[in-house]
Amino acid sequence: MQLKQSTQLKSLLTTATCALLGSTTTQANELENWQFDTALMVYSEVDRVSAAEAIIAGERTYDNDQVLNLKLTLDALTGASANGAVAQPHVQTFTRPSGKGQYQADANTTPLDDTFKDTRVQLTGQWTQPLSDGYTWSVGGNFSKEFDYMSLSGNTNIAKDFNKKNTTVSAGIALAFDQIKPKGGIPDPLTPMIISDLISGYDDEGEDDDDGINPSSIASSDNKTTVDLLFGVTQVINRRMLVQMNYSFSQVDGYMTDPYKILSVLDINGISQEYRYEKRPDSRQKHAFYLQTKYHFEHSIIDASYRFMTDDWGINSHTVDLRYRIMLAGDHYIEPHLRFYKQAAADFYQPFLNQGTALPEFASADYRIGEMDTYTLGIKYGMPMKSGQKLAFRVEYYNQAPKNAGFTQPGVLAEQQIYESIDAIIAQVSYSF
Amino acid sequence: MVYLRALFITMLLLTTTFSMANSLDQLEKKLADLKGQVVYLDFWASWCGPCRKSFPWMNEIQAKYKDQGFTVVSINVDHDKTLADKFLQEMPANFSVIYDPKGKIAQQFKLKGMPSSYLIDRDGEIVSAHVGFIEKKKAIYEQAIKQLIQQ
Amino acid sequence: MKKSHLLKASLVMLSIILTGCSSLGVEPWERDLLAKDEMALSSAPLDAALDDHIYFSKEASSGGRSFGGGGCGCN
Repeated sequence: MQLKQSTQLKSLLTTATCALLGSTTTQANELENWQFDTALMVYSEVDRVSAAEAIIAGERTYDNDQVLNLKLTLDALTGASANGAVAQPHVQTFTRPSGKGQYQADANTTPLDDTFKDTRVQLTGQWTQPLSDGYTWSVGGNFSKEFDYMSLSGNTNIAKDFNKKNTTVSAGIALAFDQIKPKGGIPDPLTPMIISDLISGYDDEGEDDDDGINPSSIASSDNKTTVDLLFGVTQVINRRMLVQMNYSFSQVDGYMTDPYKILSVLDINGISQEYRYEKRPDSRQKHAFYLQTKYHFEHSIIDASYRFMTDDWGINSHTVDLRYRIMLAGDHYIEPHLRFYKQAAADFYQPFLNQGTALPEFASADYRIGEMDTYTLGIKYGMPMKSGQKLAFRVEYYNQAPKNAGFTQPGVLAEQQIYESIDAIIAQVSYSF
Repeated sequence: MVYLRALFITMLLLTTTFSMANSLDQLEKKLADLKGQVVYLDFWASWCGPCRKSFPWMNEIQAKYKDQGFTVVSINVDHDKTLADKFLQEMPANFSVIYDPKGKIAQQFKLKGMPSSYLIDRDGEIVSAHVGFIEKKKAIYEQAIKQLIQQ
Repeated sequence: MKKSHLLKASLVMLSIILTGCSSLGVEPWERDLLAKDEMALSSAPLDAALDDHIYFSKEASSGGRSFGGGGCGCN
């Protein structure tokens, strides 16, 4: 029964994909050339953002070892996220991004913008084919659309095998164009948020559906371009071990400010006087060094990676990721996962602005570019099904602990928790057939 | 007790060296027996994707040309024989299989990839070889066999 | 200055890898473990894609393993 259903699903998907690709006949053995991977994930933060994401990916292998990968991703996001303002001993009122309506934050709580609501559709395609003399060439594209965002990118990559395929050297380039069209328009950076009684009263619906223009808006949209370069070496060490080393360079130009984020402007007593929209530089250069190794023990595999990233915003980060797959009887497996991440704050990060001092050139109170440690603890369980299908479950716990990067909290702010930690649960089911 | 253990270890060593040499001997004997025939010698493993694709084809040519003095001989290079046996259950072979778990034969042939196939003429000389099994080249592989048989 | 050091270091690394590594590795018939799906460097690409999306939107770093995330307005 199960088997039959799965075969039907596969044939349905194959027919659909073939129809999309424009081939009219679906041969019986066309099925055998396709491999489908699906995943459904739920991400949930305590009292904040919740997201659900579904992926379906198809891989078709052709006679000459060419491979076509197609992937469709859908995700939906709701909930509240920190708007950048600091907690205060009194209730705070903010203007919604649309410029219409307001929302409030209770006394002594981190202000959250509950407007957060989005759905995204993403389509990815990649074509990989072997050339002569151990070369492999790959080319791909990506399109992604959400309510206020659009991204278009293309990439190409060339790899060469040496030394009986024990060494692989690769180089690739990716170009991306992203456009952001925020609700209410692009706010004038570092200008005060206009909180007027004329702007209709407090609405507690947590919705912001009006296509209004925020009075602080200076444009309806903005964009950025990204150039990524990736160089890699993969080396087989012995029958049980292989190592990969990558260097990647990324140059981003354009609008990288978060239009929904603000900073509190505090007086010497730590009392908030106004809020100003954040402003980030319009250029960012990133370098990342990545090292990964896999080792096959008799009945387990360790997968360890380390990444060092540094950029000209002053952010340095270290990421360690460890996965240990323990093979059980009957091709079942259990895989504990540990991840540690540590980042330094961007040069222009500051948790608030001080009244009476000159405005900096750039400023952001977004905790995501502040000093922070995070860790992830997870476990995955996988099992084979009757005829080659695979089922896996994954549960993870993610903790973010923002840190004070050396800022003193004046007056009443000393009593406030402005580096609140965030807990999230990630649950995922994967099915391959 | 110690004496017994020493004896046991010596025996173990002897049997392993014997079986290591054995795969080469087995092939030599097999090829000697097949002198006068055209032989398609194929190296495969359960973990090798293209090898799986080559099995139905090897069964097919074995059946098609066996009456004209042609034989397929395969050499399995799996470390673990049980994996090879599991593969053969899913993908039955109607040609002979020599197990070479230590890669002794593979080493002698200096394989450049998997699968690797060699065509041996009626005098026992290797006349051609190819690495990999590409579906679209089946006709070319068969043509070479046909030519050698008719020589 | 810093950049030229970096470049030099990478070039030295690359040459060590290319010369030193020719003695490393396995013979083509010894790839039984390396050929397994679970030994691929990216053995769970969907998990990786989902993780990349989460961490890209919650942290200030991306990329390294493959082309750096993005494609969403989440950061």
